[in-house]
Amino acid sequence: MNPGFLRHLALICQFELKRLFTTRKGLLYLITFAVIWYFILLYPIRFASDFLGQQQNTSESNSFFQFIGFGALLNWKIPELGVYWHFSLILFPLLTVMSSADQTCSDRERGTLRFLCLRVSRDSLFFGRFCGIMLTQTLLIGASLLSTVALITFRDATMLPVACNNALAIFINLIIALLPFTAMMAALSATVQSARQATTWAILIWSFLAGIITILSSYLPALNNLKFLIPGYQMSALSQLTEWQALQLAYIPLLQTLVLLTLGRWIMQRQSL
Amino acid sequence: MNYPIIKCHDLSYNYSGKTALSNISFVCESAEPIGLVGPNGAGKSTLLSILCGFLPTTSGSVTIFDHQPGASALNGRVSALPQDAQLDPAFSIGEQLRFYARLQGLSTQQARLETGRVLEAVALKDVIKEKPATLSHGMAKRAAIAQALIGKPELILLDEPTAGLDPVNTRKIRSIIAELSPTTTFIISSHDLAELGRLCQQVLLLDKGVMSTMQLNASANISPTRFITLQMQPCPAADVMAKFKQIAGIVQITNPQKNEFIIEYKTAIEPKMDLKIIMCMSDNNWQYRQLIQGKTLEEKLFFAEQ
Repeated sequence: MNPGFLRHLALICQFELKRLFTTRKGLLYLITFAVIWYFILLYPIRFASDFLGQQQNTSESNSFFQFIGFGALLNWKIPELGVYWHFSLILFPLLTVMSSADQTCSDRERGTLRFLCLRVSRDSLFFGRFCGIMLTQTLLIGASLLSTVALITFRDATMLPVACNNALAIFINLIIALLPFTAMMAALSATVQSARQATTWAILIWSFLAGIITILSSYLPALNNLKFLIPGYQMSALSQLTEWQALQLAYIPLLQTLVLLTLGRWIMQRQSL
Repeated sequence: MNYPIIKCHDLSYNYSGKTALSNISFVCESAEPIGLVGPNGAGKSTLLSILCGFLPTTSGSVTIFDHQPGASALNGRVSALPQDAQLDPAFSIGEQLRFYARLQGLSTQQARLETGRVLEAVALKDVIKEKPATLSHGMAKRAAIAQALIGKPELILLDEPTAGLDPVNTRKIRSIIAELSPTTTFIISSHDLAELGRLCQQVLLLDKGVMSTMQLNASANISPTRFITLQMQPCPAADVMAKFKQIAGIVQITNPQKNEFIIEYKTAIEPKMDLKIIMCMSDNNWQYRQLIQGKTLEEKLFFAEQ
């Protein structure tokens, strides 16, 4: 490894953080994020936790939640975190796809990557941007989780130790779950010409790739294993697991991340700037 | 002592089935600025992009300071002004140049000072807090030149550095190149041959993907004949040529453009031909604009056979 690799990685990460907190685009994203989570905390999490707290042991509520596919909510010790977990499994991947679609593409089209590649290796740039995006996601996950824990503590201060433990489990699980989405967008961004194209490709991959693999696997069943490579493949199973149990499926996103980053790095190395 | 900075051997680059560079071989030593000229589409920007590591080669080999283009070992040693590259519109000029300086290994304090220095060099200190979108084309070009000067690299590749700049800033860039030349080797791609003629002793000519090298003034001392290029005020060309032909030692006079004459003469017969020509013009009351020893770069490169 080049001795300057880690230093460059750290500097690029730092610059990505600056992009989030000091640029107009970054601030707009932060405001959007804050508004979305404000309403999620104010309505679904607060009201659902009240409702679940009251109905937790009734057979009617059990069967209702099982019917709408949210039965696993009842297994959470703290209902707020159960609702947070379900919302975040949908929202964070979407926000990640949106915020990480432009890791390198517009810089490449504009020629800014040329200025950067005169100073750092393409590996440093590719992994630096990836780590930078993950760092910003980590901060946002942390902020939203802290708000949720504050809400729980406000309701019942004795729940704080349990809430912190469960929040840590969610924190780790969410970061792992977001890794392949960021890696997929890094690979797409290294290929296409704009963030919009990268997002379109991400939607196409989700919409059609699973269907195509299903069709192909009817001829060759072994191909069904390719579904493991689609980011978010484990999400529905993940939503049924609670707290630290969710780490059982961590190997899937980690494997996906490894494959997608290898692919993205390969593209980045061969891409003309 | 000069040593080879760039070694290029049988370098080819094809894209979409079209040959942009064909088996180019050359060696550049650390020396005076080197010009890279050629018609549009000749492959100049492609060659510079390969040297910067932006494009992969199709075949052949190229090394800079004995490393592959784009190698980490070249970070900070090689810099460039890429064609049409723009800074990130989201950050100020100063923020970006400081970031580049930090990536080149400078401390935060050094990066701040270095950013001030390079912006001062291109007369852009006032726009350090401005975003790139607020700059004019010429200012953006100077900001891009400023980034190439960060950290005093050993080799700077400039693709059309003065295109779009006003005369004052063109002269500023020329003086920066002249000032840094003892320690930094410049390779300058340009269509401004007068500019290159002022700065460069060696010129690489690229045409249809094929390269030839020319040392300016190299053959002047060994050739039995020399040239003078004379640019006149409006004058009767036929009379001028007839009078000049009467001067002993003149071998040939051509009139390639209106009011411009290229005079070939034998040094053995008349070593001070310039004085003879001036006296002839004075005798005939003809006014001249410029008298140049030798041919212009344009003549040497593109009209040598005529």
